[in-house]
Amino acid sequence: MRDGSGWRLLAPALLLLVVAFAVPVGLMVPTSVRPYVPLVGITGGFTARHYVKLLTDSYYLEIIGRTLALGLTVTAATLVVGYPVAFFLARTRSRWRNWLTILVVFPLLLNLVVRTFGWMALLAQNGLVNQALRALGLVQSPVKLLFNFAGLLIGLTHIFLPFMVLVLIGAIQNIPRDVEDAARVLGASWGGAFLRVTLPLSAPGIVSGSILVFVLTISALVTPRLLGGPTYQVMSTLIYDEFLQRLNWPAGSAQALLLTVIVLALVYLSGRLARGTGARA
Amino acid sequence: MTAERLRAWLLRGWVALVLGYLMLPVVVITLASLSRTSYLTVPPRGLTLGWFAKVLADPEYVSAIMFSLLLALVATAGSLGAGVAASFALLRRRVPGGAGIAALLNAPLVFPGVVVGVALLQFFALIHLNGTFVGLALAHMVITIPYVVRAVTATLQGIDPELEHAARVLGASGPVAFFTVTLPLIRPGVVAGALFSFIVSFDNVPVSIFLLGAGQMTLPVKIFTAIEYGVDPSIAAISTMLIVVTGVGLAVAERWIGFHRFV
Repeated sequence: MRDGSGWRLLAPALLLLVVAFAVPVGLMVPTSVRPYVPLVGITGGFTARHYVKLLTDSYYLEIIGRTLALGLTVTAATLVVGYPVAFFLARTRSRWRNWLTILVVFPLLLNLVVRTFGWMALLAQNGLVNQALRALGLVQSPVKLLFNFAGLLIGLTHIFLPFMVLVLIGAIQNIPRDVEDAARVLGASWGGAFLRVTLPLSAPGIVSGSILVFVLTISALVTPRLLGGPTYQVMSTLIYDEFLQRLNWPAGSAQALLLTVIVLALVYLSGRLARGTGARA
Repeated sequence: MTAERLRAWLLRGWVALVLGYLMLPVVVITLASLSRTSYLTVPPRGLTLGWFAKVLADPEYVSAIMFSLLLALVATAGSLGAGVAASFALLRRRVPGGAGIAALLNAPLVFPGVVVGVALLQFFALIHLNGTFVGLALAHMVITIPYVVRAVTATLQGIDPELEHAARVLGASGPVAFFTVTLPLIRPGVVAGALFSFIVSFDNVPVSIFLLGAGQMTLPVKIFTAIEYGVDPSIAAISTMLIVVTGVGLAVAERWIGFHRFV
């Protein structure tokens, strides 16, 4: 094949990604080191102030810490809740299997605002969750489930659970059933075979699913905004307010770049780990 | 054997519980949309379809739906054209630096949406493209093209390049061979990519919200801001419409191309 034809076919996509993605993201770097004067705007010159503030001011550190803590807990929750589901869907011979999988996919395709709105209705003071808790006699007065960590954890776990399940299904399907059967024949208990054979062999899926969910959680904007309100901030909502409310684009750019660096570092690590586990398996 | 059976039933019970958890908000919204009350309540008090009528008679909602559909169609057409061509070039033509280019095409998938949004907000302001439909459509193509590339690449990898070669040997030109041999073979991937692209564009908030100009409004951003102003059953009604459309669309896509294979 002629060499030029490949480039001609690539040109539209490449042009789009460079002009409307790489350049705009790159331009945030110079913006993030510009001084910002309230009521005046962005001025000339150079300052590292936005980065220093972001990494030393306790207000920002709390938001960064909260974002990362949320990422970790949501990841752990989706893993624990989702693993048995993935295991079932990967191993079942039921003729309903594809449709059960579609049931997991459905929330993923449903509008994110709609799903989050459902959780607002569920978690409100007089919402269904509180009604149920009171009917069961578990609590006397309504539990606060909105605008705090608990609410974000419940909602975000719901939003990102399908991703974890789908990644794990792929990983578990790749493990030949024979390996488990062999362990059983050789005298391992079901639990022993699971812990020492199935679980370690699904490690690549656990790692990539976990990093995916962590990255999605710390990047999420809509769900934290609606379930956390304007006061319970995470990094994404902070960036949102910085750009649209406070109009401090330099500080917002610094925050956006920090979030990007964290995400890219994790994606890079994920690739390294995937190659590592792949080589050993 | 009884321990085995017990384990199987426990696992099934857990799966049922989790699927219930996944469907919970969907059920709650649908129920809430039928309530006669002017506030959101579950279970609904009295049944009415009035909130659906109210939404469909609201010009703001109707124009937001139309705008979102138009934007998603334009974005999908663009990312489909550029994405199919790029996937084909990366797999079938030797392009130096192909791995790096593939990484760039997939990058918008891993970048936080809010970062893409603010980056384009600043860039479009700089080149005077802010608040325009062109800018918004370009932004949506950027965030949808990875889905097209992924789905098309996955299908194209399973197609023997010799089939297209054979067509060329028999006298077909490059484009004719592509459109009559390769394209029909990768159709499931193209359809899946187009569906993903459409859904991603139609659902997007974090990029759109920074780029919408005066008089422009997409449906999800409209719902998002409506919720911030105060919740009533009309929001549940428009949400229920999206639930029904998504559910029916997914069922059709599953029967048509086996959609779950592409997720």
